[in-house]
Amino acid sequence: MEKKRGETIWNSLDRKATAIAEFTVRQYRTRLSTWVVLGVGFLAISVVLLFYIDAMNSDIEAVDNDGDSFDWDGDGYVNGQEFKYGTDVNDAFSHPGLLTPPVEPEPASMYINEDDYDWDYSDASTVKTGYDNDGDCTDSSLLPSQKDDNGDGVPCNIVLVYDATSGSYFVYADPYVDEDPDEERYGKEAQHRAFILGIGKLGFVFLLSIFIPLFLATGLIRDEMTSGTMQYMTAKPIARGEIFLYRMLGYLAIVWPYLLVVCTILALVSGFMGPGDQFFRFADLGVWFSILIAALLATLVYGMLFAFLGVLWKYGIILALPIAAWELGMALLSMSVPESSFLRMSIVGWSMSIIDSGAYLVWPDMAMFTEAGSWAGGTNEGSFFFIGGNELPGYNALEWAQSDLGLGMGPYATIVVSMIVLLAQATFFWFIGQLIFKSKEIV
Amino acid sequence: MIPDLAQEGKAEEKQWTPQPQAPVVMFNNVGKTYGRYQAIGGISLALSGGVTGILGLNGAGKSTLFKLLMGKLQPTQGEVRLFGTNPWKNPAPYARVGYVPENENMHDWMTAHEFVSTFARLHGLTRDEAKKEAERVLEFVGLSDVMHKKIGRYSKGMRQRAKIAHALVNDPDLIILDEPLQGCDPLARTTIMNVIRELGRMGRTVLLSSHILSEIERITEQIVILHQGRLLAIGNLHAIREQLDNIPHTIEIDCTDAKSLARDVLSLDVVHGLQFPSPTKLKIFTHHLGEFHQRLPRIIVDNEHDVMAISNPDDDLQSILGYLTGGIR
Repeated sequence: MEKKRGETIWNSLDRKATAIAEFTVRQYRTRLSTWVVLGVGFLAISVVLLFYIDAMNSDIEAVDNDGDSFDWDGDGYVNGQEFKYGTDVNDAFSHPGLLTPPVEPEPASMYINEDDYDWDYSDASTVKTGYDNDGDCTDSSLLPSQKDDNGDGVPCNIVLVYDATSGSYFVYADPYVDEDPDEERYGKEAQHRAFILGIGKLGFVFLLSIFIPLFLATGLIRDEMTSGTMQYMTAKPIARGEIFLYRMLGYLAIVWPYLLVVCTILALVSGFMGPGDQFFRFADLGVWFSILIAALLATLVYGMLFAFLGVLWKYGIILALPIAAWELGMALLSMSVPESSFLRMSIVGWSMSIIDSGAYLVWPDMAMFTEAGSWAGGTNEGSFFFIGGNELPGYNALEWAQSDLGLGMGPYATIVVSMIVLLAQATFFWFIGQLIFKSKEIV
Repeated sequence: MIPDLAQEGKAEEKQWTPQPQAPVVMFNNVGKTYGRYQAIGGISLALSGGVTGILGLNGAGKSTLFKLLMGKLQPTQGEVRLFGTNPWKNPAPYARVGYVPENENMHDWMTAHEFVSTFARLHGLTRDEAKKEAERVLEFVGLSDVMHKKIGRYSKGMRQRAKIAHALVNDPDLIILDEPLQGCDPLARTTIMNVIRELGRMGRTVLLSSHILSEIERITEQIVILHQGRLLAIGNLHAIREQLDNIPHTIEIDCTDAKSLARDVLSLDVVHGLQFPSPTKLKIFTHHLGEFHQRLPRIIVDNEHDVMAISNPDDDLQSILGYLTGGIR
């Protein structure tokens, strides 16, 4: 038999829920402080976005990492061209122009960034990859044993070995392979990824998700109790646990659309501004989505927590501040030591593992890509004569912003587990919050 | 379990059923202490039907009594019953109760219509039902012409009436009004008194508190006198009053011309003495306060006196209390 509409408890709950949620939303909207808090949050995020736009618009200086654009003997032929034809780089009377037929000198710029890294991503723990674009390994007069320095049986390639304990790759390269990477290509990509992860973790999950609830949710119940207007609501046939929950719904109805809007703006700007040949970086939307999910859940949990602290004590915000400090520490810990068990006692740690998982799914080459920046064509390993710096530009930022999956599970499992934990935390804070609210005397 | 977003359909059946034989309100040896301060102690009282005035000085425990009844405070001793149910941590009986708190803060950013309809929905009414209900109760308290104005712009009396309206949604059987007349101008006072009397005629149980005897007197004869957290007297006001008529009461009137007002006031046989503390102030002594208050407005209106304020100090209540406690206060 079909149930007639309007006969379930759910319907009645729903009427009360929407009434209080709507009431709360309108209350927030009439308060100036709401707009100040949301505006300041947006402003802070926008400033970081400006830095990103500036970084994307400024050129990264090309560095000749292997030094073959120099002409040591001053014969008009740069070292790279002399290497290729087997003439002496230190003898002005030995150069490709004396060969028959004579070879015209090539410009030095052809020997900058001429052997970019070109590594194929693979899930295997050992990857054989790399290609000697400029031919200074393949075509040189090196002995076969010298060409296969890493001893994998293939001359002029690179072997990458994944190290599970450090979560990074070891690079075993044959000489003169991928030794002069393109700083612009690497730097832009690394800065782009570092921006998304950095703003996602510290901007959304830390800054917005802690400070917005701190200012908006701490007084959710407390302000009404202090001003005495809670007298009206608690005199109606509605349980206090419901009041707590439905007020929270109203808070979320303000905060969640806000996060969605800010996140969308950033996703669009970085999608269009980001490096790459494509018009829009669609794949990045996956990372933005995980950032959004993490921020939504974090604002939910912090909201419940701070509203509970507000119920607990008149000056609940004082209790909330040390928690915010602890969460900042956990945020930084999560970015350096993602497997630390301290993170399990935080909210931010679980939220950030959602972002890390999202990044892992969208950019599976992250560990290898980061390592390429550190290796920098071998210039960072001391095996080459080098002129450029150590790491490639953007490497440090990326290394700081990215972290591995700390739970020892796959990305999907990490997302699911983290979401469940965050929801459980929110439920827990709601439960004790309403328990205390229920036994509070409203004077 | 699809959410009823369209807000159609009927409200759920009330799951909670009151005990029909139980008194509407019952206190059994109830006490409430805050630390070492005893707000009320050992009160036993049962009330059903009619309008009852709870009379007492500030701090006598009137609000505490109401808050115990509304489950906002937990009694430190004894038991409180609302329709036979313990109201502490149990909001179910509030479905049949309307409560007007003493607290003056309201949601000033809402209109009265929004305020009342929002709280009506907490009774399980749909959006449309709640709007209709809000219009009905606001009409009842006489606010229908201003109900779409923000409460923040209301006068004191309008605010009180909006509070009363919000308590009247869902047609409660018990209405609790904590100092509903405090700070109201005479017109609002009259309107609110009419509303309360009307509720009494409709057969509702009404509890209202005041520290001014003459206010209560104009609404009901059934009174409860609280003093220092204890029950001092329950019963018909007339019975208590008659014994009090040998105590003179004082009324102070601020006006522009005290002398001409005094001349007219003296025509009343209930007045037995006058004093002129200043040219614009008149002190009147009477044994029949109720009768005096009934006849005073006519004199003022007929002779077009310019009256700024009539202070009705709780001298009268003080004197009752003095009489009842035999001077031990």
